[in-house]
Amino acid sequence: MNISSLSKKSKSKLKSAKDLRALEENYINLLGRNGEINLLLKNLGGLPQNQRKKSGKALNELKSSLEIIFRSRRDYLKEKSFSEELKRDSLDVSLPGVKDEPGTLHPVTSTIMEISDFFVSMGFDVHSGPEAETEYYNFEALNIPEDHPAKDMHDTFYLDNGVLLRTHTSPVQIRTMEKQGPPIRIICPGRVYRKDSDLTHTPMFHQVEGLVIEENASFSVLKGMLSDFINNFFGKEMDLRFRPSYFPFTEPSAEVDIKWKKGWLEILGCGMVHPNVLDMSGINSKRYSGFAFGLGPERMAMLKYDIPDLRSFFENDLRFLKQFK
Amino acid sequence: MQFSRNWLKEFVDFKVSDEELCEQLTMLGLEVDNCKPYESKLTGQDAIIKLDLTPNRGDCFSILGIAREVAAANNLPLTLPKIDNIKNSIKSPLSVSVCNEAPRYVGRYIAGVNLKKKVPPLIKERLKLSDTKVIDPIVDITNYVLLELGQPLHAFDADKLEGNLQVRFAKEKEKITLLDETKLSLDEKSLVIADQKKPVALAGIMGGLETGISNKTQAIYLESAFFTPAAIRGRARKFSIQTDASTRFERGVDFELQVLAIQRASTLINETLGSDFSPIQEFIRKSSIPKNRDIVLNINNLNKILGMNLTKSTVKKGLTSLGLRNSVSNSNNLKVKVPSWRFDLKIEADLIEEIARLEGYNNIPQSALSRKIRTSEDTLHTSIRKTFQSMGYNEVITYSFIDQSLAELVGEKKKQLIFVENPISQNMNVMRASLLPGLLDTLSYNINQGSESLKIFEIGSVFNKRDSNKINEREVVGGLITGIEGKDNWSGSNKELDFFDLKGNLETVLPELSKFSFKKEQVPFLHPGKTAALYKGQKKVGYLGTVNPKLLDKLDIKGEVNFFEFSVDDISEKKNIKFKKFSRFPLAQRDLSFVVDEEITSSSITDAILSKAGSNLKEINLFDIYMGKGIAKGQKSLTYSLNWQAVNRTLTDDEVDKIIGRIVSFLSKKFNAKLRA
Repeated sequence: MNISSLSKKSKSKLKSAKDLRALEENYINLLGRNGEINLLLKNLGGLPQNQRKKSGKALNELKSSLEIIFRSRRDYLKEKSFSEELKRDSLDVSLPGVKDEPGTLHPVTSTIMEISDFFVSMGFDVHSGPEAETEYYNFEALNIPEDHPAKDMHDTFYLDNGVLLRTHTSPVQIRTMEKQGPPIRIICPGRVYRKDSDLTHTPMFHQVEGLVIEENASFSVLKGMLSDFINNFFGKEMDLRFRPSYFPFTEPSAEVDIKWKKGWLEILGCGMVHPNVLDMSGINSKRYSGFAFGLGPERMAMLKYDIPDLRSFFENDLRFLKQFK
Repeated sequence: MQFSRNWLKEFVDFKVSDEELCEQLTMLGLEVDNCKPYESKLTGQDAIIKLDLTPNRGDCFSILGIAREVAAANNLPLTLPKIDNIKNSIKSPLSVSVCNEAPRYVGRYIAGVNLKKKVPPLIKERLKLSDTKVIDPIVDITNYVLLELGQPLHAFDADKLEGNLQVRFAKEKEKITLLDETKLSLDEKSLVIADQKKPVALAGIMGGLETGISNKTQAIYLESAFFTPAAIRGRARKFSIQTDASTRFERGVDFELQVLAIQRASTLINETLGSDFSPIQEFIRKSSIPKNRDIVLNINNLNKILGMNLTKSTVKKGLTSLGLRNSVSNSNNLKVKVPSWRFDLKIEADLIEEIARLEGYNNIPQSALSRKIRTSEDTLHTSIRKTFQSMGYNEVITYSFIDQSLAELVGEKKKQLIFVENPISQNMNVMRASLLPGLLDTLSYNINQGSESLKIFEIGSVFNKRDSNKINEREVVGGLITGIEGKDNWSGSNKELDFFDLKGNLETVLPELSKFSFKKEQVPFLHPGKTAALYKGQKKVGYLGTVNPKLLDKLDIKGEVNFFEFSVDDISEKKNIKFKKFSRFPLAQRDLSFVVDEEITSSSITDAILSKAGSNLKEINLFDIYMGKGIAKGQKSLTYSLNWQAVNRTLTDDEVDKIIGRIVSFLSKKFNAKLRA
């Protein structure tokens, strides 16, 4: 056996392999379990001792050098085949991606969520109640007597049996006060109804009202809390003012205006809960005080997203809704 | 209330600019709607100010009332208008009998009035600036005094009155024709002024036509009365008339103003028309005249409610400037008397607001609300919404009232519907009993606007009278899908949205899905063969299905629409997620195909497999349903993939084969199912 010719032949076989498959094949023929070299190694036993040692060494040396050649050839061929494949395989990356169109939440909903998040972080619970309400919860318990001019501010829809559609979410506050003693911190978002329809009114809209009843609830805290909320909502320090107003269920009452473009714009109503309201709901007005506030998420959304027409909220045009991704 | 600034200035000599005046009024709670400059030929530079008054401030429906506020805020004195001492030269031919609802009635007989004369230009100008029509000198003067002092006056043609007057409640169906020619049939709650024959005025609202003044009038009887707010409230609205008089009376007119007002009107009549005057007649029922209320204000309460630190003397000064005279004061208590024009001040809180207004709401310091741990949170609604959003749905909000015909079209029975008694329009006259009509409406609208596919949902209340006559209100979530998803996709991966897309979406949304089941049922407006009811245990909580094509045809909607609705109250949110240990041993995976009769539902096969698959079954998935070549007619093949895994060891092939043997023989016995090779 001529090791040197074997070495020459086998090295060239590996070096000249055209592709990975040919290389693999040649490798198995030479170095596989039943490959040429292993067969020679197995047959060494039949040789005389000194020759066996010498040939064995030479064969093992050949084997390891072939391994090195194989690996480098394999790396080279792999690299070559990758780069050829990468050259061949190419996309028109300018084609649009294949995507699932995301859904949207209604801007009124996301505004309510945003408002709720602020108050929930201050320890308010979110409460809800029926939209078909009684005179008692919608008016009487809120210190709005029958025939009072204050009732003119609420053009009410009536259903059967004297049941009405709530004109504000304040009945939820009353129901909560009746059920649960102080301290109370709740917000009540929901749909409300007033018989009004023009550019700036829809017969159905939403309110978020809040109520705090604690031993030390004061007008000063109400001011601080609402300023915090408004600045948070608009994401900047807002120019705002509290001015006296009138609601039958709060005393003192206030309206909050923000500086918007050139003038003042009213965005919410608030005040200290009227002692009659507390007493009627079973809360001792001598010991506890409270404050309440209410605002319209539609109005807030219109300001935040620059929406010109209130009516677009209930038209449900997808070209409108899909803008609020 | 709209008025000339120069008029106001006659009452209180403020030095502030128009802009500052308006700011001041608004910050006092008399909101300025607008303020426009006006060049007067009579008084020089003027301004027209319009106020939006809140219903509690009836006293500010006059120049006098507004002047009081400005005087208090600027610490200035108040000047009352000129009153002349008029000689009484004639006698009144009539008297007035009063009642509890009209405890003070002041009148004066004035003869020799010449209605051809005109009021002075200044009165005319001010009436115009207050948006009040100029009519004849008597009406103009009564309107002028109304604006000036806030006391509604009425002039009867004295020659048309028959006998003495009486303030009383009308008899049922008694008739009157008002000055504006409205004919009314009265009831026993209507307060009227009547002569011996008939009602001659609807008290506090409007005079009668028959006894009104005309250009032939020679003598008048001038009325300046106090009617209690309770007697007038709601009356004008009942007859759908709102007048300057009723606006003031129902909010409360100063009960001590009547004599002053008639003196002022007499002064102006005397100046303008000459005339002869009878003495002023005052008829009263003393026991029914309101009393000046006493209110005790505790300074500590005030400071606690406002979060301020005001001294007793500051508070006292403020109250005095508003006409609240301090009678008794001890330690921290101030007892004050409420003036006759402030009907809105009843309790301590009302006085606290007065002080807050005078101090200026903006000068009340701000303090922070302490944080508190919340006890509950509404995560269910948020999670339902966000899950639908993540699946590509657009949330909509539709009106809760819909058209009756649409409600009936989707199968609601008329006697179960809840009608709006006073709808804003006829196509919003019933409360929705399902979200379907609103969602279909939204669908039509958007298809007409060019949309081709739609996935929408809504959360809201629905109303009906199903069980009793009582209104039943439930909160539901509903949605619908239609069209082809991914149609605009160049990769060709588009798909028509069908029943199973919707069902899959529902299964994703429902928390704790294993508690729910779907059963084939019939719902009036859905396809009889493609509808399932959703059950939680034994309770039906909703349904889903393909909208009946007959209904879509009537609404002119093309294509297939799938709809669902379920009750939110019956869905409880998933709470307190706790980690569960999972197995790290290999899965034993097997696919099994069964051939069964076509009408056997897949869920019954699935349930049967589950009943025999043992506790180590991790997953069962029906991944193919096949009918056609190789399967006998009337039969179908269902292919399941099943995964077993034990917590503590590797399952042997033998074990799994045994389980499969049990499943196969059970299905064979129960459904005559054959295992397909």
